[in-house]
Amino acid sequence: MKRRALFPSVGRDEAPRVPHVGSPGAVGFTNALLRTHEDKQVRFYDDLIKGKQVIINLMYASCEGVCPVTTSNMIKVHQALKDRMGRDLFMYSISIKPEDDDPAALRRFAEMHGALLPGWTFLTGDPYDIETIRFKLFRWDHIKFDTDLDSHTSMLRIINDASNRWNEVTPMASLYTVLQHISWTNSPKPFNKVVEENEALQKRIDKEVKTYGYRRTT
Amino acid sequence: MPRNKAIEKKLKEKKLSDISRRDMLKMGAAAGAVTILGPTLLTSKKSLVFAQGAVAEPVLCAPTPVPVSPATTPFLDNLPIPLPAVPQFLSPTPTENANTAGGEAARAPHQRWAQLTPAITYQMEAKAATHQFHSNLLPSYAWAFNGKYPAPTVLNAYGLPSIVRFKNSLPTTTTSFGTPEITIHLHNGHTSPESDGFAQDFFAPGLFKDNHYGNIYAGLDDFGGIGDPREAMHTFWFHDHHAGETANNNYLGLNGMYFVYDEKDPGHEFSTPDSLRLPNYYGITDIPLILTEKRFCAAANGRNEMFQVVGNAAPAGDKWVVNGKIQPKFAVRRRKYRFRILNTGPAKTFNLSLIKPDGTQGTITVVAVDANFLEHPFDLSTRTLDVFVAMRFDVIIDFAAFPVGTSVYLKENAPQNVTGGGPALPDPAPGLPMTNVLMRFDVVGNTIIPDTPPVPADLVEMPDPPVPDGSFEWRFTLEAGQFKINGLPFDPNRVDHAVLKGSTEEWTLRNNVLAGNWVHPVHIHFEEGRIQSRTTRPDPVNQPGLNVPVTLLPEELGRRDVYPLPGQHTVVLRQRFRDFVGRYLIHCHNMNHEDNFMMMRWDIVETLAQLREKRREIAQRRAEEGVAPIYSKEELG
Repeated sequence: MKRRALFPSVGRDEAPRVPHVGSPGAVGFTNALLRTHEDKQVRFYDDLIKGKQVIINLMYASCEGVCPVTTSNMIKVHQALKDRMGRDLFMYSISIKPEDDDPAALRRFAEMHGALLPGWTFLTGDPYDIETIRFKLFRWDHIKFDTDLDSHTSMLRIINDASNRWNEVTPMASLYTVLQHISWTNSPKPFNKVVEENEALQKRIDKEVKTYGYRRTT
Repeated sequence: MPRNKAIEKKLKEKKLSDISRRDMLKMGAAAGAVTILGPTLLTSKKSLVFAQGAVAEPVLCAPTPVPVSPATTPFLDNLPIPLPAVPQFLSPTPTENANTAGGEAARAPHQRWAQLTPAITYQMEAKAATHQFHSNLLPSYAWAFNGKYPAPTVLNAYGLPSIVRFKNSLPTTTTSFGTPEITIHLHNGHTSPESDGFAQDFFAPGLFKDNHYGNIYAGLDDFGGIGDPREAMHTFWFHDHHAGETANNNYLGLNGMYFVYDEKDPGHEFSTPDSLRLPNYYGITDIPLILTEKRFCAAANGRNEMFQVVGNAAPAGDKWVVNGKIQPKFAVRRRKYRFRILNTGPAKTFNLSLIKPDGTQGTITVVAVDANFLEHPFDLSTRTLDVFVAMRFDVIIDFAAFPVGTSVYLKENAPQNVTGGGPALPDPAPGLPMTNVLMRFDVVGNTIIPDTPPVPADLVEMPDPPVPDGSFEWRFTLEAGQFKINGLPFDPNRVDHAVLKGSTEEWTLRNNVLAGNWVHPVHIHFEEGRIQSRTTRPDPVNQPGLNVPVTLLPEELGRRDVYPLPGQHTVVLRQRFRDFVGRYLIHCHNMNHEDNFMMMRWDIVETLAQLREKRREIAQRRAEEGVAPIYSKEELG
């Protein structure tokens, strides 16, 4: 069986990579100046989000709880989508202990976990900016809880600025689920593609119903 | 048939241009608004076409500063009553297996199709529309079924299986905050899973999906016929259930009501055998009250667009809306009326009371909760009617108690913004601020249609909940800023509990979160449950194990499908799983929490072997995820 057939069609998002009219833009996301693990300066919206599809998580280099597991699961996602990574799909890991995490520390963390991969950037910056970004991206968080760093959210925030679709998924979910949630933020497809995918889904459902008696997974 | 095809194409083009012209005229004022998608025709090799366009997409106002909704004069508009949905023949004809070639979204075959062959069919087309929420406001961009806000009400009858074809004609790209893929749940129909609007089963614009509603009572297998009539439910509603997007899509308007009549509740007031003889003429004496909250942007481009109030950090609404209008008035005659109150959220709880002309609280008689008649109706005159998101209350108000020419008010405890920051208006009744008035009833004359007899003291007989075959606990928590149930957020591909078809289980809903003080209105799909007990932890810090009983409210004594769960509360209920197999959901119906994946999937399986297999899978999966086990060794077999 082809590896591709195992996963939901995340596919290349073929829409033009321009921001959606409804995008919160530089005001909504902030255009804070951040530093990457390669010690480059980047603008949060203009350089990292604008017109792109991105997967964002929060971490810090000394985190021994959920961060390593999250990172290792993100590597799996990276592998599954490696022909898109760095082209139209990007991963950002934002340090929520920016005082401790300088670019070198982030680089060491990435190296240690085997996450120095194309299209994946570790970010640090001014604590005030990071706090603002964190609030804007993970707005569901209960404020009382999220001031406690040891229990920061482990969710992956998925944003497609070209379609203005947001989603989130826990990195602990199966690779199938994570890829599926990423695909839900893809730009709208031409109708003939929708029809094609609908037919393909029906075939998978039929197979499941035949095997298990009812629809199980898809 | 090339000729037919050509004609068909021409017709489609003609229709399309008509629509656009008509709507362009209608929205002449909106000329400044951006049209993202002009009319387009997309053709695939299967010759499915999807045409869209017409309503100009909104230009949303800036998120900061948060707008204050404009002033609206109270009681300017009449209460609109959603028109009944008109049954119609569907083309292509509904089929047991998904008609993907004809444009139907993929799904498993309908269960019990031969037994429940649809006798009546409807179409609900989700599309962009504009709706005026108040005469002082310009129209707002909305997503509405058949272009109507609120959607037309489906009036159906037990024993009359139906198909509702949900056609998705939403714009593929939108500048609004909605997500145009939809999956529609009938809350809380005894519906097989492929028609139950599972959160992951959303389908794209251009496709349709036939939801098969049997309009049967639970208990088909045990009772035959159309099931156990004691399981009757009457007041349903349908709404979008897209995972992660439910709040936005419902806020834009994708919901409506669905009534099912039977001998007890026949849709008329004549004296017929078994009829409870409650006010029962739809739109005349039996009135839906669909409640929601809204906030509006300042006028621009010929519109007052809705402001997004969805999300934990988002501001709440500052206008309360009834049937699509702000502070409407409704002319009543001196007789009994039935109001079917529904809260469509997305997050606000309504705490209602009836206020008499002298400012004191009047009496509301509650006859049904969550679509189920109570065994005994009860009067509510000293506390509020607490309508959590997705709950339904059928109440009787007798306006014969008030003289002609007086006005009675429905009060909501939380004040809304009436004057847009201007000076306050005088109180309409002593001690009742205008900001707290949800709507006004004007007593305009004596009744023309004879009044119904007094509400019977005994309404229905409710079957005793059977002895459970098993038990299960659902823990609602907030961990690291993430809402979870049993330690995990929602994953549509993961089963979190499996039950055997035909069995009964005792489920415990527990909210032990110390901070936050959230009340989760927990909703369980499929069958109704009976609350066995409610307890609370008076001192969770020092005596975490101490639970003391809470006296059940009269509205908790009937069957329910929404269970409000405040912090430290534990609710024990019994529920049955009959007639169908497949995937169902349990979730918090605060749509913000639901979209933050406070939702779990549970499956009904056919055989004991499947049950064991599935439960072992669940146990293994939980071990892999590093969360506590939920099944004992015995339960795993």
